[in-house]
Amino acid sequence: MKKAILSIALMAAVAVTAVAEETIVIDGSTTVGPIAKAFAEYFMAENPDVNITVSESGSGNGAKSLVNAVCDVAAMSRPMKDNEFLAAAEKGIQPVAHVVALDGLPILVHPKNPVANLTIDQIRKIYTGEITNWKEVGGPDMEIVVITRDTNSGTYETFEKLIMSKQRISDKAEYVGSNGAIRQRVQSTPAAIGYAGLGFVDKTVKAITVNGVYPSAATVRTGEYAIARPLFMYTNGYPKLGSAVYQFVTLYLTEDGQEMVEEIGFIPVTSY
Amino acid sequence: MRLETRKLLDRAFSGTGVIAIGVMALALVVILAPIIGKGTGAFVFRSTIEHRKVMFDQWGRGTPERVEADKAPAAAARQPVYDMLAAFAAELDEMPRADRRPYKTPVRDLEKALEELFGPAPGQRTPVLIRQQYGATRWDRTKIKLGELLFTEQWDYSNPDALGVLVKTPRSEQFKETSLEPLFDYVDENIEAIMRPRLTFYWQFLFDTSKDSHIFGGIGPEVLGTLYLTLGAMIFAIPMGVIAAIYLCEYAREGRVVSFLRICISTLAGVPSIVFGLFGLAFFLNTIHISDSKSVLAGSLTLSLLILPTVIRASEEAILAVPKAYKEAALSLGAGRWHTVLTVILPAALPGILTGVVISMGRAAGETAPIIFTAAVSVGRPLLPMQTLSQPTPALPWNIYNLCTEHEAVDEIRHVQYGMVFTLVALVLLLNVFAIVMRARISKKLRG
Repeated sequence: MKKAILSIALMAAVAVTAVAEETIVIDGSTTVGPIAKAFAEYFMAENPDVNITVSESGSGNGAKSLVNAVCDVAAMSRPMKDNEFLAAAEKGIQPVAHVVALDGLPILVHPKNPVANLTIDQIRKIYTGEITNWKEVGGPDMEIVVITRDTNSGTYETFEKLIMSKQRISDKAEYVGSNGAIRQRVQSTPAAIGYAGLGFVDKTVKAITVNGVYPSAATVRTGEYAIARPLFMYTNGYPKLGSAVYQFVTLYLTEDGQEMVEEIGFIPVTSY
Repeated sequence: MRLETRKLLDRAFSGTGVIAIGVMALALVVILAPIIGKGTGAFVFRSTIEHRKVMFDQWGRGTPERVEADKAPAAAARQPVYDMLAAFAAELDEMPRADRRPYKTPVRDLEKALEELFGPAPGQRTPVLIRQQYGATRWDRTKIKLGELLFTEQWDYSNPDALGVLVKTPRSEQFKETSLEPLFDYVDENIEAIMRPRLTFYWQFLFDTSKDSHIFGGIGPEVLGTLYLTLGAMIFAIPMGVIAAIYLCEYAREGRVVSFLRICISTLAGVPSIVFGLFGLAFFLNTIHISDSKSVLAGSLTLSLLILPTVIRASEEAILAVPKAYKEAALSLGAGRWHTVLTVILPAALPGILTGVVISMGRAAGETAPIIFTAAVSVGRPLLPMQTLSQPTPALPWNIYNLCTEHEAVDEIRHVQYGMVFTLVALVLLLNVFAIVMRARISKKLRG
């Protein structure tokens, strides 16, 4: 009996070492999530011996995971902050940024809402609570339902930086945990306003023009659309050339990578 | 009190009880009916030819000859559509430039709507994303996509004081008096021939990995991950819980320390699960680095902490319920304390202990919060048993949440979400039934 158990254990050990596969652990932004998932799928199909896991828990968590060395790639929809770099340096981690795509933050309203354009000033006032009714910005008489992302989100921080200019978001705003949740909240609430990554816009919500500019590949690239940002993947140091992580984080440079980024709805950095 | 009053009170009391049970049963039906109804939709549905193509290309199911025989009539039925498009392209070429222009966007929209229904046109380059390589795989989705092909949607904002109104106009109006006009009627009339719907029992949904983040395929890695996490939690929690209970009941001297410990355990049972999750992250991952990343091991340990109080309390109750005479008899026969516990008390308490274990097992399988930061990911391969020590896994509760709040195309794949919910509920139910049967067997054996 003992012998049998021993031999089974031995066989299991051999089997495990035989499979010796590489793993890439990705954590972070829910905005970069669709890109990371598509890349992972593509990469695993090409390299069957690599297991890639993707979790979407927010940019802040991605940064923390990288700093704590519990992930290989941190997907982030904002650049790392000074204190995160500091924490990383203390732990001997050297975050290196790879910009994998560009994103404009579309301002989303319900398709029923006739409002088609808002200025940055108006958006700020809506979020600070100065403007509380759609009537004040040329819409019907409806109380505005303000939806925003949680503070762990890179999308939130981009929005805060580019729109709010140090003013506080009103206490009445509703905080939700992901891009998908913003879309669901807006698509079910005619009076809602929210913001999300470009890849999350579908026909159930309406992206409006900001200062008269619609978020498209052209306007985001040229910077005409005011609320635009790069999307990052951070690694600890530049990955060893030829390693799985290296191939993964440079996937966006390939033609297939570009196509994936574009078809998901984001804007490729490269344009062949 | 008069007899009538007493009887009345008695009847009122039992009546309330019956009502309470009735409400509970009703709630159960209201909750379970849609779960079962919609959940089975992930397994049994009318699949189109596109579904069979996915099955053949991605999983190698079906023989090439049969798939070809299945594909050929569909392709033949689609051919007139592509012929009409080609004829229209030729027609456009002959038009003066100014006339051509207004057709540019409508044609692009039409081609996109067709791609969503049929997949890429023949002769076209294969797209990289798998979701774009196939058309609508389910008949219910086909009907929605057909509606989008036949009608365009605009919002009418002509009344500035009110909300916009959705206006649906037939798409054919955009192509009046062109060679594309008959396309819409043709597709509408021949949609069954084009898509070839057939009732399918996709039982492999339970075991297949997902392709292109759950858009195709099944929930195999999630089911496996949930089983790993639950079993892992049990492996840690049962021995620890039972030994702790034995210590508290049989060895510890009643006093302040023990009653303080009991209070602690009760408090622990009431701590919200997200707190356990954060503790797991802070302790197992960030402090003692039990694995290089999130892992099934870290998740199992966190879950085991979560259910430990329940296991301890249930085991304690079961041990205390063993008649004192058993223990006294064993001791009087000269058995030591250790021997008594192992051979007399534990076997007699086993059914009760198992009840506690059953309850906590269901809880461990269904908990989301403790595994968010310690074990669960949205995309990943099914793991081998040894890999659970170092790698994270998708798991049903987390992926249900992830699909419904974070997935970029969730409206297209609601059936997967319902399928997951159904599977999770069924899994917990099965685990419970299994444990109940086992308990019944053990108590029967004990009774001799």
